[in-house]
Amino acid sequence: MARTRFLIVVVLALLAFVLPASAQTPDDTTLVIAQSVDVGALEPALVGSRAESNIFGHVFGTLYEITETGVLSPYLATGYTISEDGTEWTFTLNEGLTCHDGEALTAEDVAYTFTRAADPANAFTGNTVGFVLPSAGYVDARADSELEVTIVTDRAQSESLRLGLLSEVYIHCKDYYEATDVATVAENPIGSGTYRFVEWVRDDYVLIEKVEGFTLRDAVFNQIYWRVIPEASTRVAELIAGNVDVIANVPPDQVDAVNNSGVAMVQGVAGTRRMYVGFQFGEAFADAPGYEPIQNTDVRVALQYAVDVPTICATLLGTECTRAASMVNDPNSNPNLTPYPYDPAEAERLLDEAGYPRGDNGIRFEITMMGPRGRYLNDANVVQALAQYLTDVGVQTTVDIRDWSSDYLPLVRAKEIGPLFFLGTGGSTWSALYDMADLSAPDAGTNYTNWANEEWFSLWDQTAGLDPAAESAVKDQMLEVFYNDPPWLLLYFQPDFYGVSDRLNWQARRDEKIVMYGATLNP
Amino acid sequence: MWIYIARRLAQSIIVILGVTVLAFLTLHLAGDPTYLYVSERASEEEITDARQRLGFDRPLGEQYLRYIGGLLQGDFGTSLRARKPAIDLVLERLPATLELTFFALILSLTLAIPIGIISAMRRGTAVDGGVMLLAMLGQSIPGFWLGLMLVLFVGLQLRFLPISGHVPFLQPLLDGDINTALTNLPQTIRHLILPGITVGVFSLSRNARLVRSSMLEVLSLDYIQTARSKGLPERAVVLRHALRNALIPIVTLVGLEFGFLLSGVVIAETIFSWPGVGRLVFNAINQRDIPLVQTAVVLFSFMFVGLNLIVDLIYAQLDPRIRLN
Repeated sequence: MARTRFLIVVVLALLAFVLPASAQTPDDTTLVIAQSVDVGALEPALVGSRAESNIFGHVFGTLYEITETGVLSPYLATGYTISEDGTEWTFTLNEGLTCHDGEALTAEDVAYTFTRAADPANAFTGNTVGFVLPSAGYVDARADSELEVTIVTDRAQSESLRLGLLSEVYIHCKDYYEATDVATVAENPIGSGTYRFVEWVRDDYVLIEKVEGFTLRDAVFNQIYWRVIPEASTRVAELIAGNVDVIANVPPDQVDAVNNSGVAMVQGVAGTRRMYVGFQFGEAFADAPGYEPIQNTDVRVALQYAVDVPTICATLLGTECTRAASMVNDPNSNPNLTPYPYDPAEAERLLDEAGYPRGDNGIRFEITMMGPRGRYLNDANVVQALAQYLTDVGVQTTVDIRDWSSDYLPLVRAKEIGPLFFLGTGGSTWSALYDMADLSAPDAGTNYTNWANEEWFSLWDQTAGLDPAAESAVKDQMLEVFYNDPPWLLLYFQPDFYGVSDRLNWQARRDEKIVMYGATLNP
Repeated sequence: MWIYIARRLAQSIIVILGVTVLAFLTLHLAGDPTYLYVSERASEEEITDARQRLGFDRPLGEQYLRYIGGLLQGDFGTSLRARKPAIDLVLERLPATLELTFFALILSLTLAIPIGIISAMRRGTAVDGGVMLLAMLGQSIPGFWLGLMLVLFVGLQLRFLPISGHVPFLQPLLDGDINTALTNLPQTIRHLILPGITVGVFSLSRNARLVRSSMLEVLSLDYIQTARSKGLPERAVVLRHALRNALIPIVTLVGLEFGFLLSGVVIAETIFSWPGVGRLVFNAINQRDIPLVQTAVVLFSFMFVGLNLIVDLIYAQLDPRIRLN
């Protein structure tokens, strides 16, 4: 008996040792944000994911910055001029800029940022070298004076498109980055933005702290922890427990749990990612069932009427949504276009007219729809639902779901998916042409459907160097072409769900960016 | 014994080489990894450039031989994503995983042995039935479900323990910072309990059943009857005479158990946001960071093979009837 009592005392003592009241709630000067993935490296030229750019956007300044409404706003630069032929862009920097180690940030540093990222010897694979620089036609960068830097490009381009692209380059100082090897800087970045890097514990958190005296942006919180919590349910639990202020990617089935918690709410926004079903035009699929019918424009238009997108959003994505009328995000889309309505009778009528009546077995033709699992919100279920809608109007659709990274992505990039395939591509709030650049050429890497509408591509070639009004007119014309000869079955802009603590006054953005400058505590 | 050890080490090299070939082929057969290192809007030309930069344009055999050549010189390669020696990344995370694995192993063994003994001693009673029912449940419950339930019930509803995160103990200890290690210890344990249970419950249940059946077998042997007839107290019979022999199969299992627990930590590390090797490898597989995956595979193979060798040696010490040759 005495031994049992002793054991109980020992167990209670151990519990008292390890079970003090939980006290992880952040104080009023600290923000805690939870994302699902960690950064791969703290190297600005290797940034490749949104989770990374969310952190880098606080640590590094950019020439311009894209605001939540899609406006391009001066940041480290005060303005810019464009050469007559549209190939040279000269930015003027703010005076008195410094990097976080105290080094003055001048035009030479900006030029170095670009040349370092583009240097093949560094073998960078991030968004800057893999997308921004080639898309902007980057050739070289040079410092013209202490505050003027010129970015040389190989062609004239839409002003907003190029400015937005160049605004994705994280500016840093030359001395530190030139003197330090890539592996070292990838763990110890010296930034130029509102917050300085303090600590990174891999797969755990990144801690940044406010730079005193930085006047270009207001920051309320002294510290921001960017925690990595891969499991969605754990993120939700941490939010409800009050240990985290903002969480990304709340699963639709847990929205109610957050909203009913009394300590946090979910903000749902229509993101900028365009979700669609692509019609494959590539001849590699010529022998596939269903390939021949979808080459017919009338069939592709008919299928637009066959799917009930708002119902898919409400039932599978947990939110209301408006169907997309084009491949361009609002407010940059063509305002004259209205989304195709759900009208299965009209779909059937058009299919009959197109020469594909129902057979004796009720089937017009058979086709396969490929889709990924685990990449987009509820993707596999959405594909199942879409296939059923098409089957309902007589297009017998078989679903082929593949793992995203090992199987689907390589097929997408090789354009070996189809004849129907479900996909989402990132868009923007700041440029229609950015969204339309998926189809910048018949052989563009992102023209996954191999669409080759001559009118579209002829108009695309006219967009370079136009003034904004003329550019907008051409854009509207192109979107009409797209609407009437659709290479995509238009669906929705993927909703994003953020869980936000009630103590915080912060508004989620459409472009998947988490920007905390303007966040304040609720009184 | 030394000949035995040398022979086992030679066998281990063959095993590890086989593992590297399998891991290498599996990662490459799952599609071109280049696409994961370029922007979603990269052109074909940019993808080709990236493929060359990353070395994925070379024949598979050449890539493998290059890797093995580096390995023989102690060069595990550089992580494609982190731009850091892969071995450094794995070793950086290993202490967190070892904390979790050892905690789960200790939890499993310290509870399984008394539970198994009690169950065997009370064979056929309600206690035995209840314990075995719980053990069966423990083996049946999926780890991810148990983890999530612990998060929601113990972490969120009761607020007894942290929901996620990690406070390091082993790393400061290895760095020689004993003060920090000791200061962290209570928090380390608090953070370990939920993931430790998630990782260890299957093993606990299995070991409890194993101890029970092993004890039942030993308790029925003649020498136990002799010990009882000599008038030894039941406690001495059980603990001194029966348990020692009953534990031999458990000791054999411990080496395998450690490997099993190591492979099972991925789920717990993901649910509880534990920054260990499991998550590192899981992410590396998704990102097809081949040098990193290979390094972890080789290191884990070494550990697994080494532990089994140690267990075999201990086994021979525990049971003199067993000869290493």
